[in-house]
Amino acid sequence: MNIIGITACTAGIAHTYIAKEKLVKAAQARGHWAKIETQGTIGVEDELTAEDVAKADVVIIAADIGVRGKERFEGKKIVEVATSIVIKSPNVLLDKLEEKLGK
Amino acid sequence: MVIWSDVKKHLLTGVSYMIPLVVASGLCMAIAKVMGGALVGNAEGTVAWYINNIGGIGMGLIVPVITAYMAYSIANRPGLAPGFICGAICVQIKAGFLGGIIAAFLVGYVVLFLKKYLKVPKAMQGLMPVMIIPTLTTLIVGLMLYLFIGLPITWLQNSILDFMKSMQDGSRFILGAMIGGMMGFDLGGPINKTASLFCNALMVENFFAPTAAKIIGGMTPPLGVALAVFIWKEKKFSRDEIEAGKAALPLGLCFITEGVLPFALADPLRVIPATMAGSAVSSGLSMMWNVTSTVPHGGIFVVPLMENSGMFLLALCIGACVTAAVLSFLKPTLKPNEIENIEEKEISDDDLKMNF
Repeated sequence: MNIIGITACTAGIAHTYIAKEKLVKAAQARGHWAKIETQGTIGVEDELTAEDVAKADVVIIAADIGVRGKERFEGKKIVEVATSIVIKSPNVLLDKLEEKLGK
Repeated sequence: MVIWSDVKKHLLTGVSYMIPLVVASGLCMAIAKVMGGALVGNAEGTVAWYINNIGGIGMGLIVPVITAYMAYSIANRPGLAPGFICGAICVQIKAGFLGGIIAAFLVGYVVLFLKKYLKVPKAMQGLMPVMIIPTLTTLIVGLMLYLFIGLPITWLQNSILDFMKSMQDGSRFILGAMIGGMMGFDLGGPINKTASLFCNALMVENFFAPTAAKIIGGMTPPLGVALAVFIWKEKKFSRDEIEAGKAALPLGLCFITEGVLPFALADPLRVIPATMAGSAVSSGLSMMWNVTSTVPHGGIFVVPLMENSGMFLLALCIGACVTAAVLSFLKPTLKPNEIENIEEKEISDDDLKMNF
């Protein structure tokens, strides 16, 4: 499964990056491809390209605040979730998605 | 529930854009105070006075920025311009933070309403986002603020502030303890941020003691837990936790409460009471001893810029000891085979918003 996503938290210095790491690690351990864009206070990093979006099967938006650039994902399957959930239970989240998407 | 979570998201979006602004201007004011003394505001023409002014101008922008970016979160870009203007009106009529937040919701929803229901000829479509929506929204919300809702908000804001400023020792301790308890409850989560927001709001009104209480309340949990780990090591903590304890010390000193998360997630029922107790004590003492900070962020590095900074350190030590003591009492001694892994929690479908 190809996973892309955005993480963003309130202060934009800690949760944003922890959520990204947890998500990418859990996804890779399961053999998925994952790329996560971070929207921290420093700005956007690892920005998702049009190619990334095109090949993605699902978009995970793990954010406590409004994120920028959602319009890129039009027509995609999108999951929105708080950063705390991705940090606490990345594998449970991926279980759910795998089940839903049948992959 | 969906609506409440949206409200929270808009608020936090505003706060996240506001934080660097508050830090930059707060630090300028603090530096000015260190350079020019407490009466730097009167020392016209000196470098310190200019730095103080720079900070003051930044502070004046806080409400417009939070209003604009909350409106941006609700209604996207058309919300920005009316948000800045209406936020500035709130500053002028002294409706402060409270007014700014209410103005943001008005702006946001007026923009959404106009976008949906205002029909213009096709030739004028292009003018909607740049001219029609911002102008109309600014007019509508601006006039509402001046004519109707500004006064009651200003009154409410002032009575809350007067009440707080009139508090004496005991009740100051209680206010501080409440701030600390909230800071220590979810450790960087929404309740913690609510307490921060409240203290930042008071800071804009030149009431600086809650800011110090907030900082100490956020620093105590990681320091206290690190202390407990240092004392007990393998006796009460798993190998992962000992590693996390080493990281918690510098994080705590930098006022990053999230350093306790590895502990709190693994064992919330024991860790959270300990962090709440420690933070409540340290924040309460800090309020009672009248420690004030013009800087809202920065942890140990801004302590020298605080007033009564010695008392701050004392309160911090006491609070950290309380957290460590409560945690030591609650944590069972580990059996040698318990190098457990943190189990992941089940996710309920309410926590996920899916479009498929």
